[in-house]
Amino acid sequence: MSNRLIRVKTLLRLTPAFLGVLLFTMIEAVSLFSFLRFSHLSDWIVYLNDMYLWRIIRFSLWQASLSSFLSIVVALPVVSCLTHRQFKGRDVLLQLFSVSMVVPTVVGILGVVVVYGRAGWLNAWFGIDVPLYGILGILLAHIFFNMPLAVRLLLQSYSLVPSGQWRLASQLGFSRRVVFCLIEWSYIKKALPGVFVLIFMLCFSSFSVVLTLGGGPKSSTLEVLIYEALRFDFNFDRAGFLSLLQIFICTFIAISVYKFSSANRQDVSLLGRHEYSLKDTITTRVFDFLIMTCVLLFFILPFIAIFNPIFSLAFLHTLVAKATWQAAWVSLEIAMPAAVLSLLFGVSFSVLACSAMERVHLASLPSKLEHLGGMILMVPGLVLATGLFLELRSFGGVQSGYWVVVWVNSVMALPFVLRALMPVLYQQEKRFRHVYLSLGIHSIDRLKIEWPLIRKSVSQAFGYALLLSLGDMGVIALFGDQDLVSLPLYLFQLIGSYRLQESSCIAVILISLCLLLFYLSTRFIGGKFDVGN
Amino acid sequence: MKKMFILATVVTSALSIFSMPSLAQTLNVYTYDSFVSKWGPGPDVKANFEKQCDCTLNFVSLDSSFGILSRVQLEGNNSNADVILGLDLNLMKKTENIGVLAKSEVDTSKVTIPGGWKDPIFVPFDQSYFAFIYNSDNLKRPPTSLKDVVDNQRLRVIYEDPRTNTLGLGLLLWMKSVYGDKALDAWSKLAQHTVTVSKNWSDAYGLFLKGESDLVFSYTTSPVYHIMEEGVIKYKAAPANEGYYSQVEVAAMMKKAPHPKLAKEFMAFLLRPGFQSTILTGNWMLPVTKLLTPIPKAFREIERPTKVLTLSATEVDKNRTVWVNEWLEATTR
Repeated sequence: MSNRLIRVKTLLRLTPAFLGVLLFTMIEAVSLFSFLRFSHLSDWIVYLNDMYLWRIIRFSLWQASLSSFLSIVVALPVVSCLTHRQFKGRDVLLQLFSVSMVVPTVVGILGVVVVYGRAGWLNAWFGIDVPLYGILGILLAHIFFNMPLAVRLLLQSYSLVPSGQWRLASQLGFSRRVVFCLIEWSYIKKALPGVFVLIFMLCFSSFSVVLTLGGGPKSSTLEVLIYEALRFDFNFDRAGFLSLLQIFICTFIAISVYKFSSANRQDVSLLGRHEYSLKDTITTRVFDFLIMTCVLLFFILPFIAIFNPIFSLAFLHTLVAKATWQAAWVSLEIAMPAAVLSLLFGVSFSVLACSAMERVHLASLPSKLEHLGGMILMVPGLVLATGLFLELRSFGGVQSGYWVVVWVNSVMALPFVLRALMPVLYQQEKRFRHVYLSLGIHSIDRLKIEWPLIRKSVSQAFGYALLLSLGDMGVIALFGDQDLVSLPLYLFQLIGSYRLQESSCIAVILISLCLLLFYLSTRFIGGKFDVGN
Repeated sequence: MKKMFILATVVTSALSIFSMPSLAQTLNVYTYDSFVSKWGPGPDVKANFEKQCDCTLNFVSLDSSFGILSRVQLEGNNSNADVILGLDLNLMKKTENIGVLAKSEVDTSKVTIPGGWKDPIFVPFDQSYFAFIYNSDNLKRPPTSLKDVVDNQRLRVIYEDPRTNTLGLGLLLWMKSVYGDKALDAWSKLAQHTVTVSKNWSDAYGLFLKGESDLVFSYTTSPVYHIMEEGVIKYKAAPANEGYYSQVEVAAMMKKAPHPKLAKEFMAFLLRPGFQSTILTGNWMLPVTKLLTPIPKAFREIERPTKVLTLSATEVDKNRTVWVNEWLEATTR
């Protein structure tokens, strides 16, 4: 076969992946461009002269960098401890970590407030009055939401450490500190920029947390201005400008972070990991114990506060109410297809990125693709949904918001799917590419062979997408469909009708459902033995 | 993996069958979601109206009053909406200016809003007054005026952001009508003992109930919910001797309503007992007409305004941005 024919064949094989990426890009571009149509460049100068805008940007940069930095700093020792120690409740803790990012913000905020607030437990038990409203509250809530995400993502990079290195470390009697410096750090540091950028974007665009715990309009985010421009002034020009500004700032941060870090190329690894126990000293034991206790206290207490209503009578009522399960069903109806779609998007991106990896003239494509997938985090959800709504209307309008909600959710979950999927796929590509090429194994056949190695990551990616769509309420509320009341929306309706207690019961059900689904996803897709990781 | 994809495709396509059929005579009403929820007035209103109209009443629930406004702006004259329900006094002018609303032709002379109601387009459907709510167990000497709230540095206050919420906008206007040109100073005084300014009513009220503040900005009718549904009497609305700022929620019908006849019928229905009787314990607001049945005791005992303050809709529309900027200036200095 001529070289050319092979190339054409490879390209043909990549068509579905191309289509996936194209579709995603179109959704993203269409909604943005429907805004930019309304732009008047001359007005932009006026917007740029707004002092308040710059104060907000300065503050957002500050709080987002600090939030992501602290989340990672707290996560590092936790990850190390979770890798090297087996203890009771470890798996449960990991499950809890996985759902923390989908806890509806209003619930999470109330959880934090119950513990750290003025009338909170900390104050009641120890008389510690935490000055919660201001930068401290924002940081606390952001760490609560994002530290677990950092832990889960960093744990992944630990699984890339070849077991030979652990064995060697164990045989040489390295202490945990030495192991961390010599082995673990070199794997972690490759994952850090990605994790940092992800959390940074989440915090930069966080809306409810910053407003509610920020203590006043001094602490604000660009999203508030976008919200105002869009919902009140109906000023598409300004909303488009502000979104572009947000994208620009986030891209700038992302590029600078990646610039100072080594390229995301994974090393070779060995397959199954054996447990090699490292030298355990009193110091490490005490250190681990202290770290875990602090983190548990910090992290678990708000969770206990959230789960508190379990023992109330109202919880029983909620549990038997028909509306609860209707809402749960609607949530599933949205989350399931959204997660499948998101996974398909994720696979398209990864396949394309992997196939470009070893080609010299395409070497920068993988990181560009990753960035493209991550860009969706920078586009405010409100803008994305409104833009789509506008465009769909010119195609005859939205009969039912259902599919739009599914699509938007699947697109929004992509950055998380990519974070879970890409490292492992890169690694597979790097290691086995030539073997597959020389044997002519591709597509489904290759998938069959690789499945045992990647299923864990696939299950995680699927789980993230599922949970994110399950916890979403921004998009769904915009399209307003009477029959489309998902659990988070139901929760907000309850609060809106003063029923705070019932709403907290719904929160418990939502979180439990998330936990269950994440467990099932890791159990059935990820395989029996990988539940905890 | 392949099996999984097949399964997923099957699941996805099975789910897509669940799209709903649309009936011929369906009146579409855009409103905010707590109106439609199981405990809101929505279900009763639907039942009562469908009894008389031989049609289906379909509520499209949006996330807030701002949500209704922006949806109408987005859709313009191509909207499926017949009626929009759930804007307030301060959004009226803004919505009217879009130019998609029709005259209501409803007789509003019997409406019991202080000062009467004359607007040709909008029909009011419920009313209340903005007020600070406090917990009388914790606060033994509650403020008696807005000035008290602003001046007393020991009070911890939570209110809503005027840029994202109608209540926040309400406070902005209340402050303006009490303080006038001195609003800037008043805001900076208030900022010194403000706990936080939240995105919406839910966040603010939730924090207040958890004990995070002494006062929260809400409605004079809020305590009634706690009395009637929970038997809790400790929550009270603080009086204000300058007068309360009034909150009136309104509805309007669309110029290009797909079902103009039904829409007209519904607009008139807004002031009938079938609608007005659902407002009290549905929306926890006051009706705008005299009801046939006596209203519950808890509602009769709420704080009454000594004077009612309102700024004209035109003035609000003209000055909102300036006043919001003034508030920003005072609170971020």
